[in-house]
Amino acid sequence: MEIMSFNILLAVLIIAPVVFGVVAYLSPDKLRSMSIILCSVIVAAAGIMITIKPNNQFELPGSEMIATILEVAIVGIILYIAVTIRNWLILLMSLAQLGMIIAEIILAQTGHAVTHSYDFATDPLTKILILITSIVGPIIAVYAIGYMKSHQEHAPPTAASLGQFFFFFIAFLGFMNGLVMANNLKWFSFFWEATTLCSYMLIGQDGGESKKNAERALLINTFGGLAMVAGALWLAVENKTESFEGLLAAKAVIPMVLLCVAAFTKSALLPFQSWLLGAMIAPTPVSALLHSATMVKAGSYLVLRVTPGFHDSPKVMMVITIIGALTFAGAALLAVTQSNAKRVLAYSTISNLGLVVACAGIGTPLAYAAALAIICFHAISKGLLFLCVGRIEQKIGSRDIEDMGGILYRMPVTTSVALIGMMSMLLPPFGMLLSKWMAIEATIRSPLILVFIILGSALTVFFWSKWIGRIQTSSYHPKFNKESIDPAMGFSLITLALGVLLTGLGSMWIFNKFFAPITKQVFAGRTDISDVLWNVFNAAGDFAAVTLFVAVGIAFIAYWLLVWRRFKETDVRLPFLCGENAESTVYTTSAFHNSEGIRSYAFRSMGDKIENSWSSTTYLKNFICEKKATIWLNIIAWVIIIILLGEAHLL
Amino acid sequence: MFNAVSKSPWVVHFNCNSCNGCDIEFLACLTPHYDVERFGILHIGNPKHADVLVVTGSVNNRNARVLQNVYNQIPDPKVVVAMGVCTSSGGVFAGCYNILGNVDLVIPVDVFVPGCPPRPEAMIDGIVKAVGILERKRKGEIFPTAPKPLCKFKPSEEQSAEKTAIKEEKTV
Amino acid sequence: MMDKINWTQWIIIAVSLVAAPFIGALIAGLDRKVTARMQGRKGPPVIQPFYDIIKLFSKQPVALHKLQILYAFLHLVFMMLVVVFLAMGQDLLMILFAHAFSTICLVLGGMSVRSPYSRIGSLRKIMQMLAYEPILILIIVAIYLQTDSFLASSVMSMSKPMLCSMPLLFLAFLSAVAIKLNKSPFDVSTSHHAHQEIVKGITIEYAGPYLGIIEIAHFYETAILFFIIMMFWQTNLYIGFGLETLAFLAILILDNTFSRLTTTWMLKYMWSIPLFLSIANIIWLWSK
Repeated sequence: MEIMSFNILLAVLIIAPVVFGVVAYLSPDKLRSMSIILCSVIVAAAGIMITIKPNNQFELPGSEMIATILEVAIVGIILYIAVTIRNWLILLMSLAQLGMIIAEIILAQTGHAVTHSYDFATDPLTKILILITSIVGPIIAVYAIGYMKSHQEHAPPTAASLGQFFFFFIAFLGFMNGLVMANNLKWFSFFWEATTLCSYMLIGQDGGESKKNAERALLINTFGGLAMVAGALWLAVENKTESFEGLLAAKAVIPMVLLCVAAFTKSALLPFQSWLLGAMIAPTPVSALLHSATMVKAGSYLVLRVTPGFHDSPKVMMVITIIGALTFAGAALLAVTQSNAKRVLAYSTISNLGLVVACAGIGTPLAYAAALAIICFHAISKGLLFLCVGRIEQKIGSRDIEDMGGILYRMPVTTSVALIGMMSMLLPPFGMLLSKWMAIEATIRSPLILVFIILGSALTVFFWSKWIGRIQTSSYHPKFNKESIDPAMGFSLITLALGVLLTGLGSMWIFNKFFAPITKQVFAGRTDISDVLWNVFNAAGDFAAVTLFVAVGIAFIAYWLLVWRRFKETDVRLPFLCGENAESTVYTTSAFHNSEGIRSYAFRSMGDKIENSWSSTTYLKNFICEKKATIWLNIIAWVIIIILLGEAHLL
Repeated sequence: MFNAVSKSPWVVHFNCNSCNGCDIEFLACLTPHYDVERFGILHIGNPKHADVLVVTGSVNNRNARVLQNVYNQIPDPKVVVAMGVCTSSGGVFAGCYNILGNVDLVIPVDVFVPGCPPRPEAMIDGIVKAVGILERKRKGEIFPTAPKPLCKFKPSEEQSAEKTAIKEEKTV
Repeated sequence: MMDKINWTQWIIIAVSLVAAPFIGALIAGLDRKVTARMQGRKGPPVIQPFYDIIKLFSKQPVALHKLQILYAFLHLVFMMLVVVFLAMGQDLLMILFAHAFSTICLVLGGMSVRSPYSRIGSLRKIMQMLAYEPILILIIVAIYLQTDSFLASSVMSMSKPMLCSMPLLFLAFLSAVAIKLNKSPFDVSTSHHAHQEIVKGITIEYAGPYLGIIEIAHFYETAILFFIIMMFWQTNLYIGFGLETLAFLAILILDNTFSRLTTTWMLKYMWSIPLFLSIANIIWLWSK
């Protein structure tokens, strides 16, 4: 009975989204929203239930056959797309992929025995990913209902139908769930390609320009798919196994490196970052989905899945760490130069994924726990931030950070939620900061990585605080505007904001309750981990995060008692503009309200003419140019990738 | 200890329409020879942090509003010290086409320091006097006076009559 | 963690919380006095900062809006938290993060108002953070390399003075202290003197008691920095005190000989010479 219900949950998590996706595709608008909400509830419930249940495995009779057919089918679809868009590079790579799959089939037919292992399994790492996919994902889907309603009104005529959009959107969740639970590499490759396909369709939703960016995403991810299938083939031929278990048991370095390269493409690490930046052209819920719940998390999941157990080949692990650390610092540097909100978010995602990969490469208990923590906290915060930016963009009609001054008054709910999200990315006592702290402590023994991570963290603080500073800029208002939010969007924003706050409040508790046991489980029986490393790990768990809350609490209470309650309108003054303020010198409601410029300060110049001056934020333009820096970083990253392949004796 | 206000008066300096004579003399107070910092007096260019507003020069149509704005931005308790003869009567500029006249047409002045320009010793003395008033204001012995409304800045008939009279004198 | 603290530690925490601002204020007073003497002036009394603070709290609480003040409170409270953490001998990286958070609060407070001076000052403050933060982290790394622990209390367990093993880091740290104390040529975001380029920079829109709060936080910060300088000779506190005096005079001479330079210059300087010195020191420690 126990096994039975596990199988059902498994089926629900993978198949239900696809089925509901078909329903959403076929049904009219009203019914579609209903089916999306229903699907969200079901998936979220199943996700929570499967996490509560003990770890389990599942074997599908004849799964070899089904998986191969599905894989061939999905590569076939990509081939078809490559032909229709006339991209010969994609065509070539998918043909190679198809060839390898067929080679594998022929090998199996000619009696090359491959140890068969179970197809799907849950373990703590999987469970964390399932929780993210099946809780954050549906919340974004609900948000998309509200968002796409107004998006479709302004969409270009080339845009695909809403039905198609939601089919791929929801099916994505199912594929992602399948991906994290798959133990068999055949199934894994199928889900891998399926997510690639979904992301291609979603990025190209609006047609026109977006088609080009979708094509690039497909190109890079097909390259990753090729590496993945090559790795699987190698594993089957050399080590006679096709599961992650077998891979870890055989300590097969070459397939591991190939899988890692596949993971880098999906996680958009340097030098593969361009597809994720191009993907910003898609409607915002898609970006949110790609960045927080699905796509890029698949890459970091794969790295975390395959790297433990390869401490015998320290050089390979070192190179993987360097790629991660370089991405962390490089993407943060590029983010500093951006004024486009969505690009800043994209670079920040890439940067954090780099940190995850770096932590996975270091391979100490503390680093592993830090990687888990980053994946988790990042998913919630980044999802929330994308939703906020999407709403702000729809409201003010711009995604330029400089245009976001004064929105605290115009849309207080969204802006406060966005502020919570941004602060959770860098400030104590939220989880991201704690995980970054652990990452620094974990890398302390390798100075090169450490310097990268220190510079990266400094730059991260820089670009976030610039942005936070901009959106909270406002004049005095006795009362905030009332904000009308579409119920679906409002629900998602508030739920995710609560999620961020709660996980932030309980970050140390979550660490000790979940991440620490998982890490101990993963590293159990490892003799190469010295006592010093375990001491550092335990010391991190002992940290009294409660002191941070006490400090914040004291500040807020003191503020409320001493300032908020006693605040008088007569104490309000204008900013100092050398006395040349355009507003009336004494406080009146109307004078202050009219002055709510979006980004400028009004002052009186010659002849009492009212002029607007505007001080922009620094983008370090005289230090770095995005284009040049990208080229150099890509060159360095490619060199490191080639070194990685060389270290694995592939070249 | 409790008359700390009088021990750390921070000064903001506003040049209305001055010939810069007073300003140079005022800045001389900061030099080693006079060293006003020994009284805790700091010259900060910002009304938000200031206790004492030092005004030099006479008020004209353009800067009356600015002067009042700067005055309003100083938190209470505050005092105004008007340096030089221009601030009390318009000085040599009195009767110019653009001149309104003395500073206390626009903001309440606590201390006038005469001279053209006043000597630094006189200026320091003026500030010290003003600090005494500041202390009494803090204790509530003197109530702060509100600035005069801006509509007064258009020269009244009386004033313009005076001005024409002066002009006639000059032409004669 | 809380339950592990015994009453002596509580007393240490309480004493350091009360004493730190007084020490900071005295250092600030000495600073003004010595600067005046260097310029051939008599200068204000040493307890002048106390007068200033008392005066600021008797002024009208003028503000631009409510949110701005919250950041001043957070700034102060997290600076106090740094003192608490140091007194408890907590994790050094966490201390650094709490300190960075405190500074970021000041920056956000400066950015939350629609004032160009305040905004430019805030941006420069972030640039200052960008300039000195790596050096502070590298000092912590150096301590870890010698003691295998991140705890501040582990510094006391070292048998040799820290200055002997990290002389280059000490030089780099002096630059960082000069930035933190807003001394020329690094006083780009705000300064104690009447440099009127961006008026008062980051603190321009805080007035009266709110400025007082920020000043007190600054006193805490000064005390923390000088405590860390003293820790470079942790085996003998008298020599540590001498080291502190030397550092104090060195920074004042620097302050009085330079004028304010640009942020770009500061960033280039800090990311070249001091960072290079620190990394050299780290590599030396690492290879030992």
